[in-house]
Amino acid sequence: MKAPKPVNTAFGLLAEFRHPGDLIKAAKAVRKAGYTKWDTYSPFPVHGMDDAMGLKPSKLGWIVLGHGMVGLTGALSLLIWTSSIAYPINISGKPFANIPSYIPVVFELTVLLSAFGAVFGMFFLNNMPKHHNKLFNSERFKKVTDDGFFIAIEAEDDLYHETKTAQLLQEAGAVHIEPISAE
Amino acid sequence: MHAPHRTEPPRLTADADPSSRLLILAVAGLVLTAIGYFVDHEQFYFSYLAAFSFVASLALGSLFLVMIHHITRSSWAVSLRRIPETFMVNILWVAIMFIPVVLGMHTLYHWTHADAVAADALLQGKAPYLNVPFYLVRNVFFFAVWSFFAWKMYRNSLELDATGDWGIDTLQRKYAAPGIFIFGFSVAFASFDWLMSLDPHWFSTMFGVYFFAMSFQATLAAIILVALFLKNRNQTAGLVTDNHIADVGRLLFGFTVFYAYIAWCQFFLIYYANIPEETLWFYHRMEGGYEYITYGLLIGRFIVPFVVLLNAKSKSNMSLLKGVAIWVLFIHFVEQHWIVMPVHHHHLAPHWLDLTAIAGLGGLFLWLFFRRLGKAGLVAVNDPKFHESQPHH
Amino acid sequence: MSQSTTYVPEPALVKGNHTFGSITALIADISEKPAPTWWYIAFGAANLLLGLLLVLIGYLVYEGTGIWGITNPVGWGWAIINFVWWVGIGHAGTLISAILFLFRQGWRTAINRFAEAMTIFAVICALVFPGIHIGRIWVAYWMFPIPNSMQMWPNFNSPLLWDVFAVSTYFTVSLLFWFVGLVPDFATLRDRVKSKLAAKIYGVLALGWTGGNRQWQNYEKSYMILAGLATPLVLSVHTIVSFDFAVSIIPGWHTTIFPPYFVAGAIFSGFAMVMTLMLIARKLYGLKDIMTDDHVEKMNLIILVTGNMVGFAYIMEFFIAWYSGVTYEKAAFINRAMGPYAWAYWTMFLCNVISPQFFWSKKMRRNIKVSFILSIVVNIGMWFERFVITVTSLAQDFLPSSWGYYSPTWVDIGTYIGTFGLFFTFFLLFLRFMPMVAIAEIKMVMPQADPHHYDEKHG
Repeated sequence: MKAPKPVNTAFGLLAEFRHPGDLIKAAKAVRKAGYTKWDTYSPFPVHGMDDAMGLKPSKLGWIVLGHGMVGLTGALSLLIWTSSIAYPINISGKPFANIPSYIPVVFELTVLLSAFGAVFGMFFLNNMPKHHNKLFNSERFKKVTDDGFFIAIEAEDDLYHETKTAQLLQEAGAVHIEPISAE
Repeated sequence: MHAPHRTEPPRLTADADPSSRLLILAVAGLVLTAIGYFVDHEQFYFSYLAAFSFVASLALGSLFLVMIHHITRSSWAVSLRRIPETFMVNILWVAIMFIPVVLGMHTLYHWTHADAVAADALLQGKAPYLNVPFYLVRNVFFFAVWSFFAWKMYRNSLELDATGDWGIDTLQRKYAAPGIFIFGFSVAFASFDWLMSLDPHWFSTMFGVYFFAMSFQATLAAIILVALFLKNRNQTAGLVTDNHIADVGRLLFGFTVFYAYIAWCQFFLIYYANIPEETLWFYHRMEGGYEYITYGLLIGRFIVPFVVLLNAKSKSNMSLLKGVAIWVLFIHFVEQHWIVMPVHHHHLAPHWLDLTAIAGLGGLFLWLFFRRLGKAGLVAVNDPKFHESQPHH
Repeated sequence: MSQSTTYVPEPALVKGNHTFGSITALIADISEKPAPTWWYIAFGAANLLLGLLLVLIGYLVYEGTGIWGITNPVGWGWAIINFVWWVGIGHAGTLISAILFLFRQGWRTAINRFAEAMTIFAVICALVFPGIHIGRIWVAYWMFPIPNSMQMWPNFNSPLLWDVFAVSTYFTVSLLFWFVGLVPDFATLRDRVKSKLAAKIYGVLALGWTGGNRQWQNYEKSYMILAGLATPLVLSVHTIVSFDFAVSIIPGWHTTIFPPYFVAGAIFSGFAMVMTLMLIARKLYGLKDIMTDDHVEKMNLIILVTGNMVGFAYIMEFFIAWYSGVTYEKAAFINRAMGPYAWAYWTMFLCNVISPQFFWSKKMRRNIKVSFILSIVVNIGMWFERFVITVTSLAQDFLPSSWGYYSPTWVDIGTYIGTFGLFFTFFLLFLRFMPMVAIAEIKMVMPQADPHHYDEKHG
C-alpha cells in the first residue's frame, strides 16, 4: 500500500548535492530505484549525465531534418516555378531552370529552415517558454544557475513517498533536502 | 620532461601483416603495366599518371594531417597518428615513382613539343614557366622539401616512442609550422605541373586548393580503412577504439562537404562567366561519355557520402564507415582518371592499363607502407597527449 | 637534439583559483553594478557618430547617390567596400562559436559570446549599405519574391539577389545561435539581480530555463546542430559575397580562387577585430583570468595562418594572371601593383601579408601591445583589400579612353565613420546589460566540471 499523498501541498522534493561527481552517483541511485518523474539540475550540462539518468537520445535531429527538407524542396520549387513557369526570362542564354545558379539560394533557405527547426524544436521539446515553474518556489533553487547541483523528484511519481524518497536522497549523498511547495 | 612511465607500443604481428600478399599484387601489377608499355606506350603514360596522382595524393594528404595535428595540439588523433605518419614517409618512394612521369613528359605534356610552342602564342608566353628544365628543378625541389619534413617528423615521432622524451612533442611543432606554410605553396604548384598543365591552355587559380581538397578527403578514407584493418585483427591492444575511427569519420564528412564546396565553386564560376578559354576544360569533360563521370562525381563523391554520413550514428557504424571509405577511394581514383584521360582520349575509353597501373602503384605503395608500419610501434603510446586521447573509465 | 627543447604542457583554460561561484560573480556582476564613467563617455561618443550616420542616410535618400564619389567608370565604391568589410568582420564570431566548437577547442568559451555579439552588430552595419545604396529605397521589397504590380519575380540568377538571401539568413541564424547560447546565462542573471524589474526582464528572456538535465540534453543537441549549420553557412555567405565579383567577366574579379580566398580574408579580419575588442574589454573589466594571454596567443596563430592563406591567394592570382596569357587579366594585375592605385595595393600587401609574419615569434604572439597594434593594422589592410579589388578593376576599363580615378566624397567617409557609431552603440549596450562571457560554458571547461575530477578523493 502506498501512503496517502498529501494533496496539493508539495510539488516534490528538492535535494542538493555538493558537486557534479556526487550528482551523477545520486542520479544513478534514483534511476535504480525506479523513479520516472524526476530530473537533475545543474549550472552546466554534466558530462555522462544522460547515461546516468538513462535518457533516450534527443529527437531534435529528426525535427531539424524535416524542416531542412521543407526548406530544400520549397526553395527549389519556388525558384523553378518563378523563373521557368510563372514568368520565364532568358538571362544570358542560360536555361530557364538554371539549377547551378539556384544552389546559393536553395542552400540558404535550407539552412534557414533547419536552424528554425533546431531552435524552435528545442524550445518545443524543452517546454519553453514557460514563465513559472514550481521549482522557482524554492529560494535555494536559485543556486542552480550559479553553483548548485540538485535532484528534484516530483510528487506525481508513482513511487513518491515523502519520507522514503527523502531517505533515498539522503543516502545518495544529499547535503540538503527540502519539499517544494506547489503554491 | 620525460613521460612518467615509458610503455612498449603494440606491434604488427606476423600473421596479420599483409605485406607478402601486397608484394604479389604490386609485382603482378607492375609487370603487366610494363608489358603494357610495349603494347601502347601513350596509354601507359596516361594511365600511370592517374595512378601516380592517386598515391601521391595519399602521401601528401597524410603529411598535411600530421602537421596540422601538431600545430593545433590535438589529442584525439594521437592513437591513430602512426598511420598517417607512415603514409607520409612514403613520399620518398613516391619521388621515385615520379621518374616514369618524367620519362613520359613528351607524351603527356603538349607544351614540351617545340613545334607546338612555336605555333602557339599562348604557349610561348608560358614558356618561362612551362619548360622541361624548370619543371624538373621545381619537382625535385618539391619532393626534397616534402621528404625532408616527412622524414624528420617521422623519425622524431619514433624517437619519442623510444625515449619517452616529451620535449620532442614541442620540437614537432617547430617543424610543422613552417612545414605547412611550404606545403600550401608546393602542393598547389605541383598540382599545376602534374595535372593542370596537361591542358596547357587552361588555368584556374583554385586548382591547387581543389587538388588538396580531394587528396585530403581520400586520405581520411584510407586512414579509416587501415585503422579498421588493424583493429579488426586485434593489433592495437584496444588502444584504437571505434570512437577514434568515428572521429575520422566525422572529419571525412566535413571534408566531403569541403571538397564539394571547392569543386562546385570552380565549376560554377567557369560555367557562369562562360569565357571560352576556361570552359573548354569542362566542355571536354561534358561530352564523349565523360559526362557520365562528371555527374557520377557529383553524386558519388558528394551526395552519397554526405547522405550516408549525415546521421550522427552512421559515423559510429564501422561496417558502414568501411563501405563509405572504400567508395570514396574508388571515386577518388575515378576522378584522377577524369582529370587526366580526356587529354588523351576525347571519348571515354577505359583501358586495362588503368587497372594494372593502380594495382601496381597502389600495391607497391601499400606494401611499402606495411613494411614500415611493421618496423615500429602501431600506436604512439608515449606521446604526452596519449592519455588524453583514450576514453575515460 | 631534444635536449634543447622542453615540453610545454597545455595551459589551463581558466587562470586563478576560481570556483563556479566566483566565475558567476566575475561575469554577472558587470551587468549588476552601475556602469563606470568611461562607459557613459564612450556611449555618448558612439551615439554622436550614430547620429551622423542617420543624418547622412537621410541626405542620401533625399538627394540620391550623386552625393557619393561613384561615377563612370567606377560605379561601385565605398558602399560595397564597407559592406564586404563589415560582413567579413562578422565571420570570426561564427567561426569561433561554430567551427571551433565542432573541433572541440575548449578555449573558445572565453570569447565566443563576445565574438557572436560582434558578428551580429557587424552584420547590421553591413546591411546598412546594400539597404541604402539602391537609390529608390522605397522599392526595396522588389528584392524579395513577392508578387508585385509588374507580375515579375526577382532574378534568381543574380549574385546580388543571392546576397539578400545569404546575408539575411546569416543574420537570422547568428541571432538565434547567440540567443540559444544566452538562455542559461539569462537564467543566471534572473536568479541574481536585486532589481525586480531587471529580474522580470531577464526572466522573460530566460524562457523559464531550469537547468534540468532533460533540458540540457535537447539544448546541447540543438547547439551542436546549430554549429553544424552555421559552419557551412559562414562559408557560403562570404562565398556568395565573392560571387558578386567573381561571376562577372571583369579582369581581376573573375578568378576561381575567390570563394575560399574571401572566406579566409573574412576570418582573418574578423579575428583581428575580436582581438582589438577583447584586449580593450579584458583590460577595462579585469577579465584576465578568463581571456588569458594563452587566448591571445592562440588567436594570433589563427591570424598568422589566415594571413598566409590570403597571401597564398594574392600570389596565386598574380601567377595565374600571368600564366593564363590573357592580355586583360595581365593588365589588371600590373595596374594593381604599378598603376595609379599601387599605393593601395602595397598598403594592403604590407598590412595583410607582411605584418602578421611577426607572429612566427612566440614572444610577439604573447605581447599584448604588439597584438593590439597588429590587430588594427590587419583590419586596415583588409579594408584596402576590398578597395583594391573593387576600384582597380573598374578604374582601368577595357578601353583606355574610359579610364578614370575614383575618389570618395565627404559623405562616403562620414557614412563609413557613422557605422562605427552604430556598431559601438550596440556593442556598449551589450557589454552593459548582457553576460559578455558564456558563464555556463566557461564552467564546463573548468576541471571541477568533470564528474571524474572527484573520483580520486573518494576512492
